[in-house]
Amino acid sequence: MVNFRNDDMMDRNTIKETGILEQYLLGELSDDQRIEVENLLKEDHELREYFGTIEDDFEKMAFENAVTPPTFIKENIIQSISGSSNEAKDNVIPIKKSTKLPTYLAVAAGLSILFMVSSLWFYLQWQNSQQQLKLVQDQTDDLKDRIDLLENNFNETNKWYTAINNSNTIQLVLKGNEISPNSSAITYVNHEEKKVILNSQGLAKLNDDESYQMWADVNGEMIDMGVIPADQNMIVMKYIDDAESINITIEPKGGNDHPTVERLISNVLL
Amino acid sequence: MQDDLELIKRLQNKDSHALSKIYDLYSGALYGVILRICKNEIKAQDILQEVFMKIWEKADTYDPSKAKFFTWAYRIAKNQTLNSLRNSTKLIQNEDLSVYESKSETEPQIDVFEINGSLKQLEPHHQKALELVYFNGLTHREAHQEMDVPLGTFKSYIKQALKKLREVYHKELLILWLILEMMI
Repeated sequence: MVNFRNDDMMDRNTIKETGILEQYLLGELSDDQRIEVENLLKEDHELREYFGTIEDDFEKMAFENAVTPPTFIKENIIQSISGSSNEAKDNVIPIKKSTKLPTYLAVAAGLSILFMVSSLWFYLQWQNSQQQLKLVQDQTDDLKDRIDLLENNFNETNKWYTAINNSNTIQLVLKGNEISPNSSAITYVNHEEKKVILNSQGLAKLNDDESYQMWADVNGEMIDMGVIPADQNMIVMKYIDDAESINITIEPKGGNDHPTVERLISNVLL
Repeated sequence: MQDDLELIKRLQNKDSHALSKIYDLYSGALYGVILRICKNEIKAQDILQEVFMKIWEKADTYDPSKAKFFTWAYRIAKNQTLNSLRNSTKLIQNEDLSVYESKSETEPQIDVFEINGSLKQLEPHHQKALELVYFNGLTHREAHQEMDVPLGTFKSYIKQALKKLREVYHKELLILWLILEMMI
């Protein structure tokens, strides 16, 4: 057996030349030789560095000639050490498994999460749109009602206006007498079209059981022209041929067959 | 390749995740060595498993100041394989035949006797010398006889071969560096 350590003449280069480091690396030395070399390397920093280079060379060579072993070997090893591992037994395998989640599953999971999130977003957007739509719908309905109302009002007003603003229409004012001094009404009479319109706005308010009624005087006989409704301002009354005057009386609610002359409040000659 | 001392520390503390990582890093290189020494896939698979069980059990005896982790693991793999061959030389010869027969049935493996990488660029006698001691598990003494050259000559073959190998690595690194430079 060679004792390298005791050979003082053996310098670093000689050691390199002997090839003992390669043999040490390859595990060919006896235990005694191995300990010698280890001590040498411990003491000589440069030699240790040189040994490191040889290690790198051999390691690289091994990696260039690597052969992938079948996968079951790793599984066997992990399984047989699971008892002696320092971690809890069930910590080892499941975690490993979870990291081995196939890529396509991960992609699928990712896609489904994306799909869920986007679905929720679309649902919220849809709900929001629904609410806004309902609001617009309500507003539109409201506007439509108001337009209908305005249109009715306009048609009504226009009807009265055309009726009144006619060259054949005579305007007559019915002033209240001492029974109802504050009352006044306006009648529009058109003999051509045989129409009578009354604006009853100026008549004094009556009790609930009374109504105003209009009469035409034809040769001394009072003929009914109609009961004046309390809730309307402009009323079309019956046109009576050959009437000499128009009269308004207060009658029991709903009108009367014959005028109560004592309660005549106004009359006007035609 | 620099050793991951942190990972090795965890292995020494019996962390099975560390062993799993160590396996991923080194199993291919070790399996390449084992397979080339024993030349039998079934046996090599058993030995690889035994080697990693040894790495697991003996991890605390590994001393980073003495050698790289792979050097340590390589020695375990080589010894385990040689021991296994010694214990069942006859059996292996028998099995050898059957393995060659069954090999064509199983998936076509890469030719394990083919040497790859930078080693291929060396002169044949340098290549042969390294192959014998590193991938065939022969000692220097056995190998110089195998090559029919004196032991001293054989040792210088190894030394020159390693030097050439280093030059090839450096050339490869230089080319890689040039390519990277050009890309930037």
